[in-house]
Amino acid sequence: MSNDKLQTSPNLNPEQLLARYAGESCPASLSQLLEIVRLIMGSSDDLVIRTFYIYGRYEAVMLYINSLVNQQITDQQLQSFMTLPEWLSGTDKLGPEALKQTLLNKTVHLSEITVVSRMGDLINMLLNGKTIVAVEGLGEAFKFGARKIEQRAIEQPQTEQVVQGAREGFIEQLHTNLSLLRYRLPTPSFRILICEVGEYTKTSVAICYMEGIADPKLVSEAENRIRAIRLDGVLDAGYIEQFIEDHHYSPFPQVMNTEKPDKAVANLLEGRIVILTDGSPFALIIPAVFGQFFQTTEDYATRFLQGSFVRMARVIALVFSLVFPSLYVAIISFNPELIPTEFAVAVAGGRAGVPFPSFVEVLIMEISMEVLREASIRLPQQVGGALSIVGVLVVGQSAVAAGFASPITVVVIALTTIGSFATPAYNAAFALRMLRFPLILIAGMLGVYGVVIGLILIANHLLTIKSFGMPYLSPAVPVHFRGWRDFLIRAPLWILKKKPSYRQSRRYEDKEEGTA
Amino acid sequence: MRLREETTLSGIEMAAILISTVIGVAILPFPLFAVRGAGTGAGMLTLMAIGITLIGLLSVIALGLRFPGQSIIQYGAQIIGRPAAAMLNALLIVFYIVLTASAAREFGTVVVTSVLKQTPIEATVIIMLLIAAISARKDLRTFANIHLFYTPIILMPVLLIVCLSFQNAEPLYLLPIFDHTPQILSSLLTITAMFQGFFIITLLIPHMRQQSKAWVSGLSGLGVAGALYLLIITSTVAVFGAEEVKELLYPTLELAKATNLPANIMERLDAAFISVWVTAVFTTLFSNYYFAVHALKQWLGTRDHRLFVFFLLPFLMLIAMLPENVLQMYEGIALIARGGFVLTVLCPVLLLAIAVIRGKRGAADAH
Repeated sequence: MSNDKLQTSPNLNPEQLLARYAGESCPASLSQLLEIVRLIMGSSDDLVIRTFYIYGRYEAVMLYINSLVNQQITDQQLQSFMTLPEWLSGTDKLGPEALKQTLLNKTVHLSEITVVSRMGDLINMLLNGKTIVAVEGLGEAFKFGARKIEQRAIEQPQTEQVVQGAREGFIEQLHTNLSLLRYRLPTPSFRILICEVGEYTKTSVAICYMEGIADPKLVSEAENRIRAIRLDGVLDAGYIEQFIEDHHYSPFPQVMNTEKPDKAVANLLEGRIVILTDGSPFALIIPAVFGQFFQTTEDYATRFLQGSFVRMARVIALVFSLVFPSLYVAIISFNPELIPTEFAVAVAGGRAGVPFPSFVEVLIMEISMEVLREASIRLPQQVGGALSIVGVLVVGQSAVAAGFASPITVVVIALTTIGSFATPAYNAAFALRMLRFPLILIAGMLGVYGVVIGLILIANHLLTIKSFGMPYLSPAVPVHFRGWRDFLIRAPLWILKKKPSYRQSRRYEDKEEGTA
Repeated sequence: MRLREETTLSGIEMAAILISTVIGVAILPFPLFAVRGAGTGAGMLTLMAIGITLIGLLSVIALGLRFPGQSIIQYGAQIIGRPAAAMLNALLIVFYIVLTASAAREFGTVVVTSVLKQTPIEATVIIMLLIAAISARKDLRTFANIHLFYTPIILMPVLLIVCLSFQNAEPLYLLPIFDHTPQILSSLLTITAMFQGFFIITLLIPHMRQQSKAWVSGLSGLGVAGALYLLIITSTVAVFGAEEVKELLYPTLELAKATNLPANIMERLDAAFISVWVTAVFTTLFSNYYFAVHALKQWLGTRDHRLFVFFLLPFLMLIAMLPENVLQMYEGIALIARGGFVLTVLCPVLLLAIAVIRGKRGAADAH
């Protein structure tokens, strides 16, 4: 179609034009309707305006955006609009309403076809990949879905690898992701609520929850927070997370994210809410407490002894990654008498050639580890191997040989780094990795006393913050003994039965039982 | 709308608050005072101090249950009339401010003499007061959370050290259990002062989910803390002997130094013990600070306690810096101990007696 008869209004941008016409009903005259569409849509070359005659006699127009639409389906439907059915007499002239009923009920072979009457809906549907058919004189338009968007295959998520357990991962398309959840939860309790966020992107955000399990207050709170988001574009779940979290300045994540549908479903069953964002393979899980960040779905898939053992190993790794370097600095520079004498001699021997105080040494090594880690994430896999060899040689061997760091320091840094990778949740590990640096500094200044002060500050912060009303350290504090069965250890499934951990602890206030 | 839950305290939280408040800065030097006062009878002296504290504790709980939903700041006026109550409240608040400051000072002194010998005492004191101040701005839920979280962290390592130290113990050192010394009364007050933290319970009873549980929580809280003090005094005397303890400034710290973990993991435990002790001091300071600001809030009838927190900080710092040396500081602490005995033990007993005689009691449905 040629677009040379465009009316451009210099004063209003397309969004304002759309807002102006949004409430108006579709004009009965086709030429008027097309004029408004062209005014709003401008000269986008992927907008297809195809005029034709229904049954060969009623003037109509089909509108769609060809970059979003499956051409085959529109072609088929065009045929079902144009072909005159045999039972319809060749001479009868149908009025607009009768024509609409005939089309809807007798000739168009589509399950999902509806009628839109407002211009705003029409344009929005068009932009969402729907195909619009408008008929002269009707004052309404038909809309049907023939959307086709390229999507990648369902793969194993890169960020959450498992040895045992489901390997499916979410992809970018919301509908595929919802279907991954729905087929695991064939129950009427599973509810989905979709909001639109983002002034330009109009991203669909789906709030998924289990009716009867999730706290209704939590659901409405989540919905309110999401609807309150004012942003021009929402391109990832992370945007949503930053708007709905409780404490923006806390280093600790208060929203968990996952790429695994099975994990999302497990959390739904525990009464949490899963938020899916169109265009992002990450599902957000709220509320998230600290305990969840060292748990994986694999803990439940494996036998309980194995699951508990692995979980405790992770907790140790977590603690290691936070305090090990600062404790090392504090002991070496303030309280060397704490370590056994033989070992102290070895440490002193290793540090003999190192010119810096131990906290400078540890800081330098920690920073170079962070640089190495960041570099190896961004590099293509082929180069990554070379980098890690260089990293190992430079940081491990040569730094010691050059008298830059003592061997014990290298061991400490290595353990710390490995410990921070053992945490399954990247964002939680990141919080502890960041906090390591102030701890090293204060350890260098005040020794063991400084480390304790630092840890008290961190612990007090953790004890203060909440995620959607859940105390961050629950079920440890406030004490909820039933929650402990699935906290540091993972009790056998027959004891956990209906996955009570979150539901019970939500009601820790009004439940006397188990609270002692 | 924010998701909010109404703050109520469970029995276990109440007990934890009592334990971590009572275990404080004094665990380091108190064997010295106890042994100075009673020789080998130090354990008995501690037991007597616990007994005296128990009287105060029971009357505070009885008062709290008699006036449901109110703290001593609020029901004082009903029992003894407004002017007298106003004076009592003012005294209590001043006492708690001085108590907080003196604990911070004592802490700073220990750190400067035994760990960070080159750090100025002002630095350690202000750090501790600041941490307590930041926490004291938080609400009751966080207050309970913090105490509940730290209680096992304080109890476990101390118990471990005490248990390990028993391998060097000589039971003979503990005898005779009753030793006659002249100064027993004045040191009894000093030892009783260690348990003054129990008084925070008057602020908390109105917030208990089941107020009747206050008896159990109060007794078990004081019981656990008292048992820990008893264990420490017994093991210190058993390891060093009464005469040796008199020569040590911080006998408990020496106990940790003399103890080593099996398998040679740590040569000595004093630094580990110091870190636990820092935590214990923090919880005590936090409780006292919290009491001071909340008592001020209730007395003046303001809605928010937070505005008092940083208002008090310079005064606390000033009072903490008043004593010029360790000797003056311990003289001051002995004075505070006497005042504390009057305010936290005698006053509740008297108030309870007056309330019973005058037949005063709070509205039953106040909670």
